[in-house]
Amino acid sequence: MSYLTEGQPGGRYLLMGNEAIARGALEAGVSVAAGYPGTPSSEIIETLSRASKERPIYVEWSANEKVAMEVAAAASFAGLRSVCAMKQNGVNVGSDFLLHLVLSGTRGGMVLVPCDDPGALSSINEGESRQFARLLEIPLLEPGDFQEVKDMTRWAFELSEEIRNLVFLRSVTRLSHASGNIVFGELPENQPKAHFKHDGFILDPMEGIVVSAPVDYKHGQQQEKLRKAIALFEVSPFNTYAGPERPELMIITSSACNLYSREAIKLLGLQDRVGLLKLGTTFPLPPQWMEKHLGMGESFLVVEEVIPFLEENVKVLAQELAPVIGIKKIMGKRDGHLPAVGELNPDLVVGALAKIMEMDYEAAPESYVKRGQELMSFGAPNRELTFCAGCPHRASFWSIHNALQMDNRQGFVCGDIGCYTMAVLPTGFSTLKTLHAMGSGTGAASGFGKLKPFGMDQPVLSVCGDSTFFHAAMPALFNAIHNQSDITMVVLDNSGTAMTGFQPHPGLTVDAMGKKVPAISIEEVCRSLGTKVRVCDPFDLDTTRSVLLDLLEEDGVKVLILRQICALSPEKKMKKLFDVAVNPEVCLGESCGCNRLCTRIFRCPGLIWDKNLGKARVDEVICAGCGVCASICPAGAIEKIETKEVTGI
Amino acid sequence: MHVFGPNELLTDVRDKDLCIGCGACVNLCPYFKNHKGKTVMIFPCNLSQGRCYAYCPKAEVDLSELSLGYCGKPYDGSALGPHQEVRLARAGGKMQPGRFQAGGTVSALMTYAVDSGLIDAAVLTDRDGLVPAAKLVTESREVLTCASSKYTAAPTLAAVNEGVRQGLSGMGVVGTPCQAMALAQMRSNPLQSEDFRDPISLVIGLFCTWALDTRKLISFLSGRVDTQRIKGMDIPPPPAEILVIDLGDEKVEIPLHEVRTLVPKACQICPDMTSEFADVSVGVVEGRPDWNTLILRTQKGEELVDGAVKNGYLVVEAMPEANLDHLRFAAQNKKKRALMKAQEEGLLNNTEEGKRSALRIDPAVVASATA
Amino acid sequence: MKNAQLPHDPYNLVISGVGGQGNVLASRVVGNMLSQKGLTVTIGETFGGSQRGGSVMSHLRISSDLAYSPQIPKGRAHVVLGLEPSETIRVLAIYGNRDVMTICNTRPIHPVQVIAGELEYPDLQNVKKWVSELSKKAWFINATDTALEMGLPILGNIIMIGALAELKALPLDREEFEKAIRLSMPADRVAINLEAFDKGREMMA
Repeated sequence: MSYLTEGQPGGRYLLMGNEAIARGALEAGVSVAAGYPGTPSSEIIETLSRASKERPIYVEWSANEKVAMEVAAAASFAGLRSVCAMKQNGVNVGSDFLLHLVLSGTRGGMVLVPCDDPGALSSINEGESRQFARLLEIPLLEPGDFQEVKDMTRWAFELSEEIRNLVFLRSVTRLSHASGNIVFGELPENQPKAHFKHDGFILDPMEGIVVSAPVDYKHGQQQEKLRKAIALFEVSPFNTYAGPERPELMIITSSACNLYSREAIKLLGLQDRVGLLKLGTTFPLPPQWMEKHLGMGESFLVVEEVIPFLEENVKVLAQELAPVIGIKKIMGKRDGHLPAVGELNPDLVVGALAKIMEMDYEAAPESYVKRGQELMSFGAPNRELTFCAGCPHRASFWSIHNALQMDNRQGFVCGDIGCYTMAVLPTGFSTLKTLHAMGSGTGAASGFGKLKPFGMDQPVLSVCGDSTFFHAAMPALFNAIHNQSDITMVVLDNSGTAMTGFQPHPGLTVDAMGKKVPAISIEEVCRSLGTKVRVCDPFDLDTTRSVLLDLLEEDGVKVLILRQICALSPEKKMKKLFDVAVNPEVCLGESCGCNRLCTRIFRCPGLIWDKNLGKARVDEVICAGCGVCASICPAGAIEKIETKEVTGI
Repeated sequence: MHVFGPNELLTDVRDKDLCIGCGACVNLCPYFKNHKGKTVMIFPCNLSQGRCYAYCPKAEVDLSELSLGYCGKPYDGSALGPHQEVRLARAGGKMQPGRFQAGGTVSALMTYAVDSGLIDAAVLTDRDGLVPAAKLVTESREVLTCASSKYTAAPTLAAVNEGVRQGLSGMGVVGTPCQAMALAQMRSNPLQSEDFRDPISLVIGLFCTWALDTRKLISFLSGRVDTQRIKGMDIPPPPAEILVIDLGDEKVEIPLHEVRTLVPKACQICPDMTSEFADVSVGVVEGRPDWNTLILRTQKGEELVDGAVKNGYLVVEAMPEANLDHLRFAAQNKKKRALMKAQEEGLLNNTEEGKRSALRIDPAVVASATA
Repeated sequence: MKNAQLPHDPYNLVISGVGGQGNVLASRVVGNMLSQKGLTVTIGETFGGSQRGGSVMSHLRISSDLAYSPQIPKGRAHVVLGLEPSETIRVLAIYGNRDVMTICNTRPIHPVQVIAGELEYPDLQNVKKWVSELSKKAWFINATDTALEMGLPILGNIIMIGALAELKALPLDREEFEKAIRLSMPADRVAINLEAFDKGREMMA
């Protein structure tokens, strides 16, 4: 979107939340942006990389979130404004650095943008980043609509420079990946010069050294900074109230829940009875402003995602204020008015409101809903997640699964994070048997591989992607080699960070801004560690399986790199290697000798089982032309002919 | 024959530890594979009837029906099964000496069969270290590369199935009694397929009292010898009670009682010592280390032996009565032990609704064989 | 800025389909078209993991003044644009009501479990029947096959936008479409997209 940089101040544009964050950062004159890909945050850095062609900004996809934070912090220490973006997990990864950063303080405005994923729409957890604001004792901002997403991002840098500390600006999937109308502000002209002043008085926050000690002094300084923030929050335009002066019920909310709550009130026609207190500054809560509004009513409903963070902070404040305003009834998640898990939506808020206000609400006529459910059960078959047509992971896991079966010693694979995480499902032949965080697959395998003395005789494998290798798997690999663990580490190298939209990483020759950079070779890293390394093309099923069967017999650490480019890679996109078709004369279909291997077991979405003909056929719209199915057909019925690089789109 | 499907094969054979790894179910489809002597199912298949179950020599084998189909006679439980005569035999002048085990009869017969065009291809068993491998050869000089006994259960029939998939016919197979039984089931067209043609021209059966599990053997020997140096293995006739490992420059002897722990459970219910479902059967001879026992069973078998003798590939002699008595005695004992074990394990002649069996034999025959 | 008239405020449009069909692009184009007319638009989408063959939905909230939540409340859709038949039913069951208008592309994309023989995909005649049952009025067009004839299967979603424009429930015209498409596509693609848009309108006749 070139209008991100070319859009007129005062102009109104339809932008995705992440794009709005990028615009807000640009309006604040950000100089450095760093992050690690993670849904729903990735577009922030991507948008800023595109903007780097027109604005003076350095954008980096760092090896992991902790390094990204360190990179952004360095810019801040040198007097520049910096932004760091990641999904909720990234805060966990970098939290040790953050703990020390908030004691050492920052100089140029630094904003950390964690994008949480309530409901785990694209995660295998629904963890929260907001608690880190409490833990680290730093200000937390939560935009409540699209304009605020941009405006609060811009303001966050000012706040950070007021208090000389990091500021959290928390987004969620339903803001980051949703789109709304945003009015642009001005883009600044001047750029500060980068210089790290470090030879002044040692405790001077702007001229001394940037360290977290002496701890009690710095921790004390941090409390001062929080008090400064509170003073600003008391008059912030991002905290708003709409509704009657003496509401029967007041909703206290933040983030996307503001939009759900506003709509819920409207749907029930309660605008004159229910007030909406929207907090944009959710930690620390501004006590005077809260006192004024908590004093307006007796009953409150806190609407937030996911854990009752705001609810608990409000309750603490309410308890402290009780001698002045009286005891209040505060409802929310802790008492079950709203569900403890999952994301919220207008209907869930309507449900809670309707219950409290003793009203009826019908989303749609009962008979319609009933009939709809019925028709959905046979009219809308479930859509299981699957690897794309042409995905090298399908081929890799085919070989890994079959090798483990043939080896017949109950071997298993410890999984990791990426598209290949889906190998826990039938699309990857249910091969993964453990699954946690980035790099945890090889870490767990390193542990399993030391259990031989306790009688463990099962082969141990781990998988990790090329991006994950650089992010977190390397320390686990060093651990396994140094401690002589017996494992086979399979690196699934599809040349990119695929699941999140194909961002570059240290193993590639291109960086976030499209510049040519040196690539780090995974096999050379592994060889330099003195471990056995093999490289195979996963589309060559026979060789891959044969190599695996050999490796499974050996002791120590073995690394097998399965290298084949992602089917969705921009380099490869839509270029079919082969034109593939099923010869119905040869196809054995359901009979003994095949029993629908390609559609029943291999399950590539490019293949369809035609029940009327009793034969398989290729869906030319979906088929990516990788030709792997031709290798597995027991009858040789799948024919593949090399294309002359036909471009599909 | 009652034919079931792969799920029943798993329940009846794999889960009961009765798989002998003969390869009859391998290469029929993508689901069964054999690796280092172990047959596994790599993905589930839910067909209610399959060739895998039909061919398996440990699943619903109806010996009466099979015998009638094979030689026109009911299964009588006799020691050596149906046969014309029993001879002593050894390789003739046409064969190069020194490269085979005992009398070299199997190599001689197979070489003749290929040279004379009696068969188009020979399915034999080769070895890589201790791992047996099925091999399909079309030139007679390749036959000798597979000479020498392998005491491990081998997936030889996987090569037969592969040959069938490639459209081969006129195959000659050297196999163990369980493999000969599986071939007989295969050749009876159990799934009644319309375009079935018998791909087998000749079956040479081997004598077998028991076989060894490959993986267990590797594990057992790995501590004692360098398995890559193994040139051959031999179990000399009683009373030696040893397994001899030939490493070329030295021979290592292992007491048989230790080796017996490596015998698959499947062998315990096998009533066939002399490959009763073959054209000819070949084994050792007590007291005559350079000769073989040769049982001639079918007309095909007789033609094979006559031709081999006439053309100098084979030499035959009369079989001494004493040896024949010993042979009958050993074979009858194996039959008796096996049928009693099968009965004990509930694997024989089940009649209850839904209860399957490994073997079905006329109860009168069972009674007299186990008396 | 001149504000166009809406039959309802907010006006709720759901675009449903399967990951990879261009659902997101379609919602952006429609969103930009309406935004250019001075309307306030919120778009909510499902991204990421669900793209790998999973169901995807875009919820468009169109209002003359307020920004609404990115999720349409249950039973409150006014128009459903179904890029895939079974996804159309799925969306109608949750967000439909007796007054909803539905435009349904008739080319199925089989879920993996159907391909694998574990689940049945409904007969297209039944789908049409059921979609009609759950809508006030329903149109069925084969956008994918038309797009294939034009040489680019992904144009299916643009054809559907043309069809939506023809419904005339929302102020969507060709001029705004061209402006919006220029924002999202390289210049050499604009012509074929306009052609697809026009085809979509024709198919509603």
